[in-house]
Amino acid sequence: MKVPPMILDLTVASFQRRPVRLWLPLFLLWPLALALGVLALALTIVADGVLFLLGRRFHHYTALLVRIFEALGETRGTVIRFSNEKTAVDMTVH
Amino acid sequence: MSEDRGRILELLAGGKITAEEAERLLDALDAPTGAATASAGPAIQGDPEPLIAALPKYLYVKVLAANGDNVNVKIPIVLVRSGLKLTSLIPPLAMDKINETMAEHGMSVDFNNFKPEDIDELIGGLRETEVNVDGKNGDTVRVYCA
Repeated sequence: MKVPPMILDLTVASFQRRPVRLWLPLFLLWPLALALGVLALALTIVADGVLFLLGRRFHHYTALLVRIFEALGETRGTVIRFSNEKTAVDMTVH
Repeated sequence: MSEDRGRILELLAGGKITAEEAERLLDALDAPTGAATASAGPAIQGDPEPLIAALPKYLYVKVLAANGDNVNVKIPIVLVRSGLKLTSLIPPLAMDKINETMAEHGMSVDFNNFKPEDIDELIGGLRETEVNVDGKNGDTVRVYCA
C-alpha cells in the first residue's frame, strides 16, 4: 500500500542565527484534500461524460485527477537542499 | 506461481519497479545457472528483495554555482514516472502551449507522442545515465540516479 507524504521537514539556517526547524504535518491536509478530491471527482466524471457524449476526443479529466493524486502520493522521499554563504534551506518530505 | 514470481509481480503492480526491471528479474528467476541446473531450482534462491533494493531509487540533481549557491535535489524515481505518466493525460490545448513554451526555450520534446512503453524505456535509460555539465563560468550540474 502506498503511503502519502505525512510530514514536511523544513530547516532554515541563516548566518549567525539559530537554525529554525519546522515539522509541517501534511497528514492534516489529507482529509481536506480527500474531501476536495471527491468533490472534484464528481465534477470530472460529469464533465467527462458530457465531453464523451459531445464526441470530443479528450475526455480524461477523471483519469488526470486520479494521476495528480497519485503523483502527490509519490512525493514522499523528495529532498530539496539549497545553500549559499548566508543561508541553508533543507526540505524533506517524509 | 512461485512466491518470488508473485512478489515481483506485486512490486510491478505497485509501481515499485518498471516492466523492464520486472522482466529482467523474472528472466533471472527462470534462467538456468550451473548450480540451479544441477538442482533444477530457480535462478534466484530465496528473496529477490536484495536484487530489487540494488536498483536505483532516486534521481539526483546537483547544481554548484560559481557564486557559491548550491542546490541538491533528490527525487524518487516513482515520482518521475508518475509525472511522465501525467503527460499523456494533459488536455491537448494545454499540451500545445507546453510544447510551444519548451520549443521557445530550445527544447523540442513533443509530449503528445509519449506512450507508456516510452516512459518505461526513458526511466530505464535514466537509471544508466549520468549527465555532467561544466559551465564556462564555473557552474557545474550533475544529474544521476542512485
